[in-house]
Amino acid sequence: MISVGMIIFVLALVCCAFATAGYLLSLSVKKIGLAKVSTWILAIGFLFLSLNLLGAAIQSAGWDNFGSRHFLSIYAWAIAGIYLGLQFKTKTRLLGAFIAPFILLFLIAAAGQGADKNLVPPQWQGWLTTSHLVLAIAGESLFVLASAAGAMFMIQNSLLKHKKPGKLGRLLPSLSDLDRINHLGLLWGFPLLTLGMIGGAAYAAFVWGNLWAYDSKVIWSLAVWVIYGFLLHQRLAIGWKGIRMASWSCAVFALFLLSALVIRFCFSTVHNFI
Amino acid sequence: MIVLVGLNHKTAPLSVREKLFAGCQGESNLLGDLRAIDGVLEIMYLSTCNRVELVAAVEDAPQALNALKYFLAGQGGLTNEEAAVCLYGYQDAEAIRHMFRVTSSLDSQVMGEAQILGQVKDAYRQALEKNATGIALNRLMHRAFRTAKRVRTETGIAANPVSVSFAAVELAKKIFGTLAGKKVLLIGAGEMAELTGQHLIGNGAEEITVANRSLSQAASLAEKFHGKAIGLAVLDEALCNVDIVISSTGAPSHIVTQEMIRQCLRKRKNRLLFLIDIAVPRDIDPAVDSIENVYLYNIDNLQDIVDENMKNRRCEALKAEQIVAEEVTQYSNWLKELGAVPTIVSLRNKAEAIVRMEMIKAQSWMSKLENGDREKVDVLVKGIVNKLLHAPVAVMKEESAELNSQDIVAVVRQLFRLDE
Repeated sequence: MISVGMIIFVLALVCCAFATAGYLLSLSVKKIGLAKVSTWILAIGFLFLSLNLLGAAIQSAGWDNFGSRHFLSIYAWAIAGIYLGLQFKTKTRLLGAFIAPFILLFLIAAAGQGADKNLVPPQWQGWLTTSHLVLAIAGESLFVLASAAGAMFMIQNSLLKHKKPGKLGRLLPSLSDLDRINHLGLLWGFPLLTLGMIGGAAYAAFVWGNLWAYDSKVIWSLAVWVIYGFLLHQRLAIGWKGIRMASWSCAVFALFLLSALVIRFCFSTVHNFI
Repeated sequence: MIVLVGLNHKTAPLSVREKLFAGCQGESNLLGDLRAIDGVLEIMYLSTCNRVELVAAVEDAPQALNALKYFLAGQGGLTNEEAAVCLYGYQDAEAIRHMFRVTSSLDSQVMGEAQILGQVKDAYRQALEKNATGIALNRLMHRAFRTAKRVRTETGIAANPVSVSFAAVELAKKIFGTLAGKKVLLIGAGEMAELTGQHLIGNGAEEITVANRSLSQAASLAEKFHGKAIGLAVLDEALCNVDIVISSTGAPSHIVTQEMIRQCLRKRKNRLLFLIDIAVPRDIDPAVDSIENVYLYNIDNLQDIVDENMKNRRCEALKAEQIVAEEVTQYSNWLKELGAVPTIVSLRNKAEAIVRMEMIKAQSWMSKLENGDREKVDVLVKGIVNKLLHAPVAVMKEESAELNSQDIVAVVRQLFRLDE
């Protein structure tokens, strides 16, 4: 028997798949109209996902009991939410072509996970763990957005520098808009991630009696956090802008992805939720 | 039948266009005079700086073509030779196609420009006010506007700028998103720089600074833009504060060097800078382009973009011609069907008259019928008549859409003795 929650989740997945296909098609046929439609489809998918998560929260009597599927769904939900929110502010519909595949990947990964499998072992559950997770996810989602904008900036910059704006250049958002998104992503993402990490450390200190867990994930995350902090410092204090910021964000994001994969497959960690 | 007579920038030199334009403008009751021409049923007059055209619904096309050409030649005081070379005349599908192409801006000097649609709409409004149009031209013009809209939305004919100054504005938008609040520096008081500056202001750019060797010239141009004038000596300082620079001086060497830009990067806090160099020889050192977040375009770069856009427009025009062809077929079919309409009306009238007569004759015995039965007979008779008429009417519509309506109309009129 398929549950209502599962049906809503599948609907969200289908919407997101269509939106991703629409965005990519829009990029290949160079028509902005398709990207606009895709944004609406993504918004519907986002609503379904919100319903699904809300339903799960009510059913499982609290956020602490979330399963792995919901954990991954929250990633997708946060990225989609931030991206859609941004669409009210700027006309950067085509950014979806870079963002939607990430959302889709998270949802597909989520679909493969059990909804009932507890994300956090029962003995670790509590508000501190929850806030650690939610803040870290939101921070990382904002970095995804900043890096996607950075990648687009690099493409647009290269087109303009080579004096060949062409159809693609016309389709991509303006450099200023992309730089602003990159800036906002870092500006909001970094403090959220910082708070998330403090939450984790506080939990470790209280429960395990040790602030520093010597966990591979923690070490990698700290490294990435330091680099992001460095980037934000360069941006705010030194005045890095435009192409330098964009290329650094992309490079750091690649490192971030690599670390996530290496940790998942090569090391044992207390963060092995997926 | 639809005919079209006129001249445009392709067939007539400016001097001839001027003469005709002036001749037609001077005439207060032009549409009235045109309607008075023998055989002209409906008429519209279109006049722009590039064309003067008359489009009309007429009874006899060849005769009307000659009469309208004669009228235009007389109005503009054209010589016989000028009239023969410059004036063109189209009829039926060709005339309809020409009208649709003009409205869709496929026949314009700058293909895809938006102005012509408004001009045609104005011309149509004037004709409407004077009651000079009727069913055929009204439908023609609505179809023309529809075609223009389809061409605009379904093809990219008007999508990209085809002038250097607009291309520069478009690039500025790709860099800054919006030009609102952007500061512009004009180096040199050249005409091209002025034009580009105007476009930038039209798109929201706010502060304009004019830098020139002669401060008085700079001041007079700055006054036009409500900006400020500076001498070239303080150029370094000005470069630190602006977002867009347009340079067009006649200087023999570089006025803006890589060093100058590098020095103001810190003060600018690495903000994006767009430099447009339309001077020959160049004013801005090409090495400037290698600096991060600085985008330099010279006149050749801009011209390449314009050429590329022009090429794209020509490709899009092929798609547009397809749309025009579809619309022409649809309108032509409707127009041909229109030829059969009076005969269809007469046929129905005759049938109704026969039914009425027979009903009157049958009144004596029908009065014996019960109330409800009389209505039933009425419905029955009308049903039979409609069924009998359905086939001839349908065939007439089909035949007249595909072929000429005259033949089938003549047959039907003879068969049913409609002319007696």
